[in-house]
Amino acid sequence: MAINNDRPIPTQSVGAQFHDNARMSMRDVNIFYGDKQAIFDVSLDIGQNEVMAMIGPSGCGKSTFLRSLNRMNDTIEGCRVVGDIAMDGQDLYDSKLDVVELRARVGMVFQKPNPFPKSIYDNVAYGPKIHGLAESRVDLDEIVESSLRKASLWNEVKDRLHQPGTGLSGGQQQRLCIARAIAVNPEVILMDEPCSALDPIATAKIEELIEELSENFTIAIVTHSMQQAARVSHRTAYFHLGRLIEVNPTEQVFTMPEHELTEGYITGRFG
Amino acid sequence: MTEPTSQAARPTPTDHSATIKASLKRRYRAETRFRWYGRIAIAFGLAAVLVLFVDIISKGHGAFKTTHIAVPVEYDLAQLGVRDLNDNQQLALADWDALFKSGLRELLPDVSGRSARRELYRMVSNGAGYDLKDRLQANPRLANQREQVWLSADDDIDTYFKGLLDGDPYTARVTEQQIEWIDELRSAGQIRTQWNRNFWTRGDSREPEQAGIWGAVMGSLFTLAITFALSFPIGVSAAIYLEEFAPRNRFTDFIEININNLAAVPSIIFGLLGLAIFINFFGVPRSIPILGGLVLTLMTLPTIIITSRAAIKAVPPSIREAALGMGASKHQVVLHHVLPLAMPGMLTGAIIGMAQALGETAPLLMIGMVAFIVDIPQAFTDPATVLPVQIFLWADSPERAFVEKTSAAIMVLLGFLIIMNTTAVWIRKRLERRW
Amino acid sequence: MENLTFENHIASVFDEELEEIRSDLMNMGGQVEQQLEDAVRAICDADSQLAEQVIQRDGKVDKMELAIDEACVLVIARRQPAASDLRLVVAVTRAVADLERIGDEAKKIAKHALELTESGPSPMGYTEVRHLAQSVSQILRNSLDAFARFDADAALVTLEQDKQIDMDYKTALRELVTYMMEDPRSIGRVMSIMWVVRSLERIGDHAKNLCEQVVFIVKGKDIRHSDGH
Repeated sequence: MAINNDRPIPTQSVGAQFHDNARMSMRDVNIFYGDKQAIFDVSLDIGQNEVMAMIGPSGCGKSTFLRSLNRMNDTIEGCRVVGDIAMDGQDLYDSKLDVVELRARVGMVFQKPNPFPKSIYDNVAYGPKIHGLAESRVDLDEIVESSLRKASLWNEVKDRLHQPGTGLSGGQQQRLCIARAIAVNPEVILMDEPCSALDPIATAKIEELIEELSENFTIAIVTHSMQQAARVSHRTAYFHLGRLIEVNPTEQVFTMPEHELTEGYITGRFG
Repeated sequence: MTEPTSQAARPTPTDHSATIKASLKRRYRAETRFRWYGRIAIAFGLAAVLVLFVDIISKGHGAFKTTHIAVPVEYDLAQLGVRDLNDNQQLALADWDALFKSGLRELLPDVSGRSARRELYRMVSNGAGYDLKDRLQANPRLANQREQVWLSADDDIDTYFKGLLDGDPYTARVTEQQIEWIDELRSAGQIRTQWNRNFWTRGDSREPEQAGIWGAVMGSLFTLAITFALSFPIGVSAAIYLEEFAPRNRFTDFIEININNLAAVPSIIFGLLGLAIFINFFGVPRSIPILGGLVLTLMTLPTIIITSRAAIKAVPPSIREAALGMGASKHQVVLHHVLPLAMPGMLTGAIIGMAQALGETAPLLMIGMVAFIVDIPQAFTDPATVLPVQIFLWADSPERAFVEKTSAAIMVLLGFLIIMNTTAVWIRKRLERRW
Repeated sequence: MENLTFENHIASVFDEELEEIRSDLMNMGGQVEQQLEDAVRAICDADSQLAEQVIQRDGKVDKMELAIDEACVLVIARRQPAASDLRLVVAVTRAVADLERIGDEAKKIAKHALELTESGPSPMGYTEVRHLAQSVSQILRNSLDAFARFDADAALVTLEQDKQIDMDYKTALRELVTYMMEDPRSIGRVMSIMWVVRSLERIGDHAKNLCEQVVFIVKGKDIRHSDGH
């Protein structure tokens, strides 16, 4: 199946875009950087406790789309989001909605592990502190411990909580970032290529963690590794040139994708 | 087209090693040559610094010593006309010079004739009388006692004597007779060089042997304190606003260009600005550290803003993203993360700006800090001068003794600059955090 | 998914590897077809030499199976094929097993051919064998063709043809039973023929499996054990 890039890209996505128990639902989302349009008419649901993987070639807009889900795009000048993005029925781009509150509900884990140059404890405690989630030191200790436990990091760091987080290994740093994100108990966690800077063993640990986290959180993950998407996600969305081409259950996408562009991408036939 | 492809399909291994070896030699030669250019450049720079230091130190080291003559002094209160040591009026009216004049006559009893005596008296600093007065005031028990006091010699005698010790006496400003007396005193062990306290503790003076650097040091400290107190907070605030909060538009671009331009404006322009605005418009008194500080603030602000912005820019965006992603508000991001991480860079920039301000002369000339000020400034509002201006003043003075003073003052200034720059490096090393 | 090809991978070596697997499979298919044809001819022509050859050549088929299986495992390990590539590789490993079984059945037929030749020439039952062998060869050829062209429609048509074979098989069995009842002395000989017919029927089943794999490759649907087939 030779993928010809000249071929017109369909405006209609194929597959199962919608979910009966949607936590976040996006309808006809268009995102612009100045005059340049990065995302075209994307409609998608992310279900409760679902792991949604977003894959696609570089520059396909998957990260842009992910970042629009907790309005990290706000920090980029000239970035404009048109369309509906709602979480539990609440419009995220409503002018009445406070972006600080939103980001406490939609956490984010970034490509490069980026712990603050502070102690491990302070890294995890930062979110609860600024949002005033802990009433006392004891509360805070408890939150820190449970977050680190949930991020499967507690046993490795419990004796060095007050040493700098930047002293951990790459994989541990990324798990620390996950612990930091879940410390404010968000509803949704966005992960932007969380393993791209990690070795395979650290990657496996994060993937294992994603599996566990999906019991309590809804997760949207952007990844360049198709195998990773295949391993961790429940549904996979394929983006191409700013359009959502296909959304389907992961097992289907990786054995029998519906759209030939998806097929071309996951079999490594991109021209 | 088929020819080359078929050849490429069956590559015939040609031995390039001879060609490569030949070119290798050439490449290594070029590399060696290049390395030597660098070494020569560094050697040149080092030589220049060495010449500068050797010149300054060889000229200036003498200023840290000064010639003293041992003179027997009898504090005869009756002769001085002082009855009460606490009566300032009496003290002021007393003829203190008489104390060392009689001492000198005692030392060299052969001197006769008025002009010879005048020459004799001129061998001792004409501030010697005041020195004796201060001494007596400090130790009232000395009243009506005799003691031998090491009085500082006149600058011409000092210059001659130090030259004599180095084997190259400068005789133009001393008379034959004085030379004889010095020889006599020398053989009697009544003349020697000793640590120059005056240089470190006094303000400026017309008399080289009385002139000291302390007034200028204090002036510089007061001025720099004002400069730092104003320019650091203002500069850092401006940098944070421009870097983190200001929208990117033509207006901020314009501001940015202007800040960069200001950093390149000749410093004397800031002096003119200070003269026009602070003195003529706001009526700030001239010559005071506050004024100097204000002008130097104007001058160092661009430097501090630019280095602070660079320090803020050097904070990795991933840290900002992490904090924003946690739901920190913009000002929390800046306060909790950006500022602590940028602080070492900002402080380094500020110290370098301060060092620049410390060495600055031109703008201060315009606002009257070039005045001859004897008193050591005690407050921000006392007229003062600063180290580089002091150097400028001394370099301009005709007395030969000021040559070594000038060099010594340059050494002091360089010392301060080295300390400040070392501090900057130390702060950076100390506070630098890896991320 | 109409025009399925296995080219244009960014890694052109991957193209070559898949093409090699595919062509090796086709070679093996050709080899197995030849084995079947020779075995049947050995019976009909009472050619014991040919039968010996078929038995010997079965080892070659087994080696081909091992080689293709190994190539498939290597592709999975190295390329982590997905979607159509993955389906192709998986289908090839399954098809290879079927072809090997067809080879085994051909060998069995050849063994019976040896026995029959030893017990002297007799035309009894050869018509049935020849008739059934023809249909089975046809269906095997069709399924290999469908595999070669990744033609799911042809594969589905071929699947339907297998029903005809089943009917032919039952008819042949009935006729052979009649022979035995008519002439009890021929029971031993007819039993051998029955085994041959049985093998031919099994070969038809394996050919059917090949067709199912073609459908799996092209349509991504596993139609094994589903109703109607």
